Amino acid sequence: MMRIRIPMICVTLALAAGYLKAADASPQVTLNVTKAAPRTVEPLTQRALLRDYKFAWTNLAQALESNSMESLNGLFAGNANTALKDKVGTQRQSGLSSRYSNQSHKVDAIFYAPEGDVIELHDTAEYDYQVLDGSKSIHSEHAIVHYVVLMTPGADRWVVRQLQAVQHF
Amino acid sequence: MGLLAALLSLAGVSLAQDIEVRVPSGAVAGQAASISTTGSGSATFYLEGPSIALKRDVQLGQEIQLSARQIEGAGRYVATICASSCSSSVFFVAAGKPSSLTFLVHPSRAPVGQADTISGVAFPFDEFGNLIFTPETVQFQISSKDSNLASHSVQTQNGVAWFRSSSGKSAGAVQIAASLNDVQARRVVQQVASDPCRLQIKAQRTPKGVEVQTDPVRDCAGNPVPDGTIVTFTAKNGDEISTVDAPIKQDVARARIAAKGPIVISAASGVVMGNEIRVGGQ
Repeated sequence: MMRIRIPMICVTLALAAGYLKAADASPQVTLNVTKAAPRTVEPLTQRALLRDYKFAWTNLAQALESNSMESLNGLFAGNANTALKDKVGTQRQSGLSSRYSNQSHKVDAIFYAPEGDVIELHDTAEYDYQVLDGSKSIHSEHAIVHYVVLMTPGADRWVVRQLQAVQHF
Repeated sequence: MGLLAALLSLAGVSLAQDIEVRVPSGAVAGQAASISTTGSGSATFYLEGPSIALKRDVQLGQEIQLSARQIEGAGRYVATICASSCSSSVFFVAAGKPSSLTFLVHPSRAPVGQADTISGVAFPFDEFGNLIFTPETVQFQISSKDSNLASHSVQTQNGVAWFRSSSGKSAGAVQIAASLNDVQARRVVQQVASDPCRLQIKAQRTPKGVEVQTDPVRDCAGNPVPDGTIVTFTAKNGDEISTVDAPIKQDVARARIAAKGPIVISAASGVVMGNEIRVGGQ
């Protein structure tokens, strides 16, 4: 009986650890569209934006931790994509990496273009940010950062075109 | 290790050297800046920004120069100095001067005389593609070949300026410009005739049937309705009804109706009905 129990406990712990890691990696995102103007955000659009913005941050965190652009899945375009590519490239060159964990994003849609072809979001993001030189942590903080985000609709998803941190909105 | 640290501490020797990192305030994208540090000796400097990560050896107590290229991206930067321990400071880089406007205009073809049908959205960016978040005044101007139709002066809010405008009365190309200081972006909207205003038809019997055609089809402002607009001709002969769809070509729609007996012909395009005419039998 003990022989069975011990492996079971190990499996449970491993699963729990895996779950915790997954929960940690998945950003918490809330999107408020009541301030959006001049066009109102339709419920389906709101759902798609929420899904894709959350996914974008998951992928961004993976890209900057692994120093690989492969995980971005086309969710970044234009300036945002160029900046991210440059950052991954220079991180790799310097032997650095950065880690975003325990992400929480309070997002407000501020401007939604009359024809629905661009949306501006204001994201108050909170996360644990760590910079590593190889495996050595050189900086860690609990950061609260304000991001101005421009997203445009693609064929089957919304893509982030601008992701710019500002001191305040 | 803890015991060693405690002993060294008691002896007045600090394992970690407290380094003060003084970061620039009011840094602007693409403009060189510097970071100063306290202390002495060699250390490693790290910079993490929106599009950059760098690492280099520095001497404490000396200014660390950041080149214009290293801070091209507006946003949040973390400067870290590591000697025996690491110290960090956060600073922000703001966007530079306007260098381009992303200008979205809709629709590309607009029917004349429609309220609030044309809209434009402009985002100012600096030369490094940073969104300019501080308020700027964007001038929107709508003009045709001959005249200025409208202009709007709009201050950006949260980095965006937009307008909505009615279309003019004449069909043709309309230029829409957005300008901010000496930066300008132009788009063209083709104003096309609106729905037909009235339909007038005439018919003539020929050996092959009845040739029916409209007078030149125009909208209520007198603009010729675009070629390809469909006019539906309906011919009634007692209980027998036949229809023919004909596209407008050079302002006029034409059709031939094969009927030998007397018929009543009418025409319609969109929601507009034309006159009815009677044509006698052969």
